[in-house]
Amino acid sequence: MSNVGYSDPKSARVGFGEWLELFDRVPDELIERYHYYGNGEAWSKYLFPPQTFAIYGARHLRRLKFDNSLAALRMWGFVQNETERLFRARQTGRRVIATMGDLGAVPVIVNSFPGCVAFYPDCIWWTPFVMESRVLFDAAAELGIGDATCFSRAALGAFSKHSYFPDPDLVIASTGASCDDYSGVEQLAERFAQQMLWVEEPMRCRAEPTEPMVRLLVKEYERVVDTMTKLTGHELTEDELRAGIRCANAVRKTVARLRELAYGSGALPALEMMVVEFGNLHYYSDIAEWTAVLEHLLATAEERAATGERVLNEDGLRVVWVTPPADPLLLSYVEDAGARVVGTEYVINQALEVIDETKPGLEAVAESFMAASLIGTSEARAESVIRQARERQAEGVIISGILGGSHCAMETRLISDVVKQELDLPVLEFDVAPPSNEVGRQLQTRIDAFLEVLRSRR
Amino acid sequence: MELIPRATFEQIRHERVEEIAAARRQGAKVVGYFCIYAPVELVQASGAIPVRLMRGGHAAEEAGERYLRADACSFCSACMGNFELAPVYKQADAVLSVNTCDMMRRLPEAIERHFGVPVFQLYMPRTSEPLPHRLAGFRRQLEHLAGGLLGLTGSAAGVERLESEITAFNRLRDMLRQASDTRRADSPLLSGGTMLDIEATAWLLGPVKSLSLIEEVLRMVAARPRQEGRKPRLMLGGSMLTEDDRWLLDLVEEKADIVTDILCTGTRWFAEDVPADGMSLDRLARFYFSRPCMHRRPNTDLYRYTQTLVRDFRVQGLVYKTLLYCDPWNFEARRLQEALGIPMLHLDTDYSTENREQVRTRVEAFLETL
Repeated sequence: MSNVGYSDPKSARVGFGEWLELFDRVPDELIERYHYYGNGEAWSKYLFPPQTFAIYGARHLRRLKFDNSLAALRMWGFVQNETERLFRARQTGRRVIATMGDLGAVPVIVNSFPGCVAFYPDCIWWTPFVMESRVLFDAAAELGIGDATCFSRAALGAFSKHSYFPDPDLVIASTGASCDDYSGVEQLAERFAQQMLWVEEPMRCRAEPTEPMVRLLVKEYERVVDTMTKLTGHELTEDELRAGIRCANAVRKTVARLRELAYGSGALPALEMMVVEFGNLHYYSDIAEWTAVLEHLLATAEERAATGERVLNEDGLRVVWVTPPADPLLLSYVEDAGARVVGTEYVINQALEVIDETKPGLEAVAESFMAASLIGTSEARAESVIRQARERQAEGVIISGILGGSHCAMETRLISDVVKQELDLPVLEFDVAPPSNEVGRQLQTRIDAFLEVLRSRR
Repeated sequence: MELIPRATFEQIRHERVEEIAAARRQGAKVVGYFCIYAPVELVQASGAIPVRLMRGGHAAEEAGERYLRADACSFCSACMGNFELAPVYKQADAVLSVNTCDMMRRLPEAIERHFGVPVFQLYMPRTSEPLPHRLAGFRRQLEHLAGGLLGLTGSAAGVERLESEITAFNRLRDMLRQASDTRRADSPLLSGGTMLDIEATAWLLGPVKSLSLIEEVLRMVAARPRQEGRKPRLMLGGSMLTEDDRWLLDLVEEKADIVTDILCTGTRWFAEDVPADGMSLDRLARFYFSRPCMHRRPNTDLYRYTQTLVRDFRVQGLVYKTLLYCDPWNFEARRLQEALGIPMLHLDTDYSTENREQVRTRVEAFLETL
């Protein structure tokens, strides 16, 4: 599709102010082109510059560095207006289903039901950082979850505020071999749920095949289907579920290619890639439009790869990032300091797996979930890090954690030890600080010193 | 005046650890476990000696921080430290760990890595609704565990032996219930501190050897006249109170009676018997699956259990002692207080000893309000 005369400038990471200037050059026709929910109404437009969202409180956008392509602008606009989109979903008669905890599997089933939109309150964990505000943490504290725990507690605050997403028609809360923090959030969020379905997430046992756990999970997913059927009055067919799986796979395959291009050759920055990877969870509440956004990004990245143009210095210090940073500014900072993210372990392996389209739908979804990052051992996570580090010849590993996060407390040191032992690579471990308008000076020094070490080892 | 001095319990436990060490030298295998979900009947029926690892302690916590981050829960850190420090931990030929909370699920990996102690990890669903496929999945885990124990001891847990152990442990549960129930009366003679000692000792001695001890306690309770005057009747809540936390119970019981608890190291283990109907493993699966705990989802059963205890034991206040970074119990403090509608003191601490006078002040202030 033509860009009506608009062409991307030479690829670069740009700041907030430069984006405003670039946006001025975007033709109106392009702005009019992009709508969510496949709808041509004026209310469903989303191609706005970061300034629009900063005005509504997303102050952190003023400090981040963005990819300067039209595709990236489109992505940010789409992602940033998800709250509005969820309220519109309710207004336009869609069922809004909160899926919690499993990070990737249940929305494949939910979205296969006509007129249903799944979303993860879990992803609200970025909101306090993007807004530079403690409001959601304070709300969570009033309900019993104080500071010494994971930032995912923001989701509980969001439930209590009733303004970050519409009150869901159904909450599907997955728990089991999962982190304690979020399981606790789910339990306390139950009071806000009109209806809550608890779903078991089995553990991936080392000494056993995964097959029995897959069978258990299929039974759990049958409960999801039953509950959704009662809610919607619609009997889900196997064909509908398979169609849902194909849509999810289209996203997952595109993201896999984007990972190759971005982490392999620096075609996209780490910040945009984090947003892209997390899109695999629930597609920012509109899978069709998200797929189109990703295809746009992929076309940009492919073109850069073909022309040898890079948004990041290919010679940057190659690092693998473990556990997603709640503060996105960290990714901008690390790239500014001369590093390039070449691999990630963002606790969402299950959402990156392509689902087997030849098997019965629920079984295939369950099998893909068994690749989940957090249901197995820390050693398994470490192996994933090692595999990526070897593949991309990483020079160091960064593990960002959260003070009080249950899995961070237990596995950070173990992953670090295994990586050092296997690869002899420097590892930087740190806890992300609470929301702020800058990366703390002490942490800046630690990151700078770490990168200096990597540089000196060349 | 305690019914049985604390030192007596300590001596009994010390002797038992020596006995276990001697048994190991003769080829016996010891399986350490942490929480109420460990199917001890199965361990014992496999010919191994089940030993509950329930030590805390500041020195152990500090030692454990070499292996885990400082924001791991104090019990997990202390566990790591106690594998270096505590004689009973050093007797463990294997560890049986049930994936209850996330930290306890991950602890065995650290134990295995740093101390080379093999681990049996038992997966139990966190969701509490006893759906057939969940129970079947848990039962299969028990079978898997039985296979692992056979590999350790060379002895299979046959049906007869398992039935015998279920009966023996049910008898122990019954005796512990009787002891605990003496606290329903006004001015109970059995203190919360002694009850904790009895439990800790029973979990070390096993079901046969501990019966005579509990019978003796019951005889003493029956024979001794009740003290005059009434003190506030309290419940203890929270996750693990270990042998090393006895100081807190002593402090509280200077001015109050601890009459019941919802601790991981307390009444929830013996509140009911393993049911009588069905195949042995099915019964064990049903029993352990249905133990209420704060980490289960939803945790309605624990709330119900707690409310029943508050009513039956005429509880006037709750001392809710959580460990730093223990999310499942910490998060629920406020909600629990709302649900119970009785005064509550929430103490959230690690195992350090420096804060004891502050804790004393808070406990005394709390008791004054009662």
